[in-house]
Amino acid sequence: MPKMLSQLEPIFRDILDNSRLNLTRESNASNVAGWDSLAHINLISAIEQQFEISFTLGELQELRNVGEMIDLMERKLAMR
Amino acid sequence: MNSYHWDELSEGLSHEFEVQLTQSMQQDFLELSGDQNPLHTDGKFAKHAGFRDVVAYGMLTSALYSTLVGIYLPGRYCLLQGIDLDFVNPAFLEDRLRVAGSISYLNQAYRRAEVKASIHNGAGQLISRAKIRVGVHEH
Repeated sequence: MPKMLSQLEPIFRDILDNSRLNLTRESNASNVAGWDSLAHINLISAIEQQFEISFTLGELQELRNVGEMIDLMERKLAMR
Repeated sequence: MNSYHWDELSEGLSHEFEVQLTQSMQQDFLELSGDQNPLHTDGKFAKHAGFRDVVAYGMLTSALYSTLVGIYLPGRYCLLQGIDLDFVNPAFLEDRLRVAGSISYLNQAYRRAEVKASIHNGAGQLISRAKIRVGVHEH
C-alpha cells in the first residue's frame, strides 16, 4: 500500500468506525459506508490536523475520490 | 450571550464560567431523563458504592458544555456538531463547577471550530474533559 494511503486508512477507520475498511485511491463517499457530510467534515478536520495542512472549500469541492485527495495533499506537503 | 462571527474566532480564544450544582437541578434532570438509578437518588446506596453522597448525573454536568458553546464560545451562531467526552471524577450536589473552553482548531473550509473544554470542581479536581465540535452559521 502506498505510504500516504496507509497513513490515511487509520484516520478513515477511526472516524467512520469501521476497523475493516480497506481504503483505496478509488474510495469515495458513494462507495464507502458511513461517509456522510458530517463524517466528511470530521475526516477533513482530522487530516488537516495530522498533516498540518489546510484545504480551501474550492479544493475540497473538486475532489472525486481519495486518490485525488492524496495528490492534493502531496502537492501541499511538497510546497512546505 | 456572546455573538462571535466566524472571522472573529481564533485558536486560543477562551471563555469560562461557574455554576453551582443544586438539588433542584438534579431533580429536574431526573424528571427530564427518567434515569432513576439510585446512585443519583439514594445517599445510602451511593455511600455503599463508595461515594461520599449521591453522585450528580454526568449528563447533567456535561450539559454545561452546551452552555459553553451556545452562550460563550462562539455563542449565538453556534451549531453543536459533536462531542467527545470523558468523565474523570464524580461531581456532587452543591459542588461549584468551573467550565472552561479554548478553541484548539479552526477548519476554514467548513467553518467548524473545535473547542477543548473541561469542568473542574471547587477544589480544582477535574470532573470531565471534552473535545467539542461546533459549526458557526451565518445569521
